[in-house]
Amino acid sequence: MALLDIKNLTLEIDTGQTRVKALDKVNLTVSSGEIRALVGESGSGKSLIVSAISGALPPQWRMTADRLSWRGESLLSMSTEQRRQVMRRDIAVVFQNPVSALDPSATLGQQLEESIPDELVRGNWFWQRGQNRRKIAIGAVHKVGIKHHRHYLSAYPHQVPTDICQKFMIAMALVSQPKLLIADDPTRGMETTTKTQVLKLFTRLNQTKSLSILFVSHDLLAIASMSHTMTVLYAGQTVESGKMKHIRKRPLHPYTKALLDSAPSFRNNLPPKSTLPTLEGTIPPLQHMPIGCRLGPRCPRAQRDCVVTPVQRRIHDHTYNCHFPLHMEKL
Amino acid sequence: MINVLTRYLTLFVLTLLVLAALSFSLAYLFPGDVLTNLTGLTPQNDMQREALARQYKLDQPYVVQFYHYLGQLLSGNWGHSFISGLPLREEIGIAMPATIELATYAMLIALIVGVPVGYYAGMRSYTPIDHTINSVSLFSYSFPVFWLALLFILVFSLELGIAPLSGRVSLLFDIPDATGFILLDILLAEDIDKGLALSDALHHMALPTLAIAIITTAAMIRMTRRSVIDVLGRPYITAARSRGLSRWQIFSRHIVRNALLPILPLMAIQITTLITNAMIVETLFSWPGIGNWLIQAIYQRDYPALRVGMLAVSTLVITLTILVDLFNRLIDPSREKYERATV
Repeated sequence: MALLDIKNLTLEIDTGQTRVKALDKVNLTVSSGEIRALVGESGSGKSLIVSAISGALPPQWRMTADRLSWRGESLLSMSTEQRRQVMRRDIAVVFQNPVSALDPSATLGQQLEESIPDELVRGNWFWQRGQNRRKIAIGAVHKVGIKHHRHYLSAYPHQVPTDICQKFMIAMALVSQPKLLIADDPTRGMETTTKTQVLKLFTRLNQTKSLSILFVSHDLLAIASMSHTMTVLYAGQTVESGKMKHIRKRPLHPYTKALLDSAPSFRNNLPPKSTLPTLEGTIPPLQHMPIGCRLGPRCPRAQRDCVVTPVQRRIHDHTYNCHFPLHMEKL
Repeated sequence: MINVLTRYLTLFVLTLLVLAALSFSLAYLFPGDVLTNLTGLTPQNDMQREALARQYKLDQPYVVQFYHYLGQLLSGNWGHSFISGLPLREEIGIAMPATIELATYAMLIALIVGVPVGYYAGMRSYTPIDHTINSVSLFSYSFPVFWLALLFILVFSLELGIAPLSGRVSLLFDIPDATGFILLDILLAEDIDKGLALSDALHHMALPTLAIAIITTAAMIRMTRRSVIDVLGRPYITAARSRGLSRWQIFSRHIVRNALLPILPLMAIQITTLITNAMIVETLFSWPGIGNWLIQAIYQRDYPALRVGMLAVSTLVITLTILVDLFNRLIDPSREKYERATV
């Protein structure tokens, strides 16, 4: 069953004269118990999707969607209170920049303890509850791999390294025992050992507690080993989406292929000192998005038809948006 | 902690030294006799003059003179007034608390009214109620204080007759001067009707306090509102919201403190304006404060009084400013930030 179901999510912003579509009809589903990777270059709108789901969009964005539902209930038509409850218990978000996402004037411990929902705290009297809160917080901190809880729980965000902040964000997200974890680049700025630690934690939680994870990142290597399904985003459009192993074996969209090719670790036959294959050009700026398929100007297979936005096509549970996908050899 | 205290103490002492040097040089810069400007005493004959000059070390180099002057200042020997012949320390000791009292009550009103209203406007930012509060505060912030005080006198004292025109307390009450703060003095006084005296003092106080408070309150509302709006746009508020905290939790745990921190230094700046305003309003209401006293000194060319008065007022302003800044430094955890190497 789909936990989170997003259909044709469009985000627009007014830039004085024109209205720019930062997200153009994005589709995304996260089923229960799966780890879905959301991949795209920086600026492709990954974080915008995260903000849109968590209701944290600044007011100047205009959001429209055919469907944005959580377990069949529409998040768009929900009352503020209902939505708050969903965010409190079911969905947890780890934001991209941990240092600015933590309150600079409160200690990490206070912030962690306030994220614990009241139902999880045992005890009748406030001192018992306070103790219990503290215990839960220490447990959560240990779980994400911070050993010196005494030191870090009473520290302020600016006093600790960035990766500890990031781990605290993860601890704050996990402490409410959510059904879905939305992790926006959760391993950024971490060294490799801690990164593996965190990824292992995610995998374990996914297997033991059947926690669904929407893993947003551009770190293909990390994602490929742990996620079941993948959605690729380019300049605010969904490009391809499907099972991880299918996409890795046979990408259908030229962009996905270029993305996979550009990661050297995915190719075992790469001769030494050869140039990495990349697409010509750069990601277009928001004000100058091409019409139709936004990859158009950079795409090696582009033809005249590409000025019309391709519709989503489907082969089993593998979907792609392309007029000339790779499995159709005729050009 | 010790470091911070030492730094602020050094700053404080150095600033006071510069001020003392300035006030010392005034004795030379003011027209007339240096000895008279410095002591406030007019020597009757040459012998007395020489004795005084020797006493004040005027026959020695400037540095020694200044050193001696500092000693005199610290020991409370500030010279005498030209006009009244009284020691200046006593006169300032009476005038200064009156000003501080006025400024304190105005500041209290500004804090009690301005900060909550500012928070309310900030939380309701860009709604009709916020626009109303904002325009009212802008309107009252733009009043010149002397004009507002005159208007108050015209309306409340002359037209309606509900508040007295001038002074601190009715002359019928004989209140001994213990602390210099009228309300405290009344409470400490022995054989008077305290209720009557208090109500009379409050009547006297209402108009000048209000005249100063309105402007400071408006400034406070605007600062608080701006600060709250800034904090509301920060990522950690968004993050707190996405964790499903209620509006009240977000407000009490994350907004209040973070919005208050940037206001405190601005408040320190407001103190200067506040005391200036208090001094202006005093002259209009004949409030026996330092502003009124300085104006009289200027009219009567009382140079020793001006020299010490300037020093006293600036010392007060600097002390308050540095104290507020120090307080802010001590309670704001993020200001002990040091650069950390990042990967």
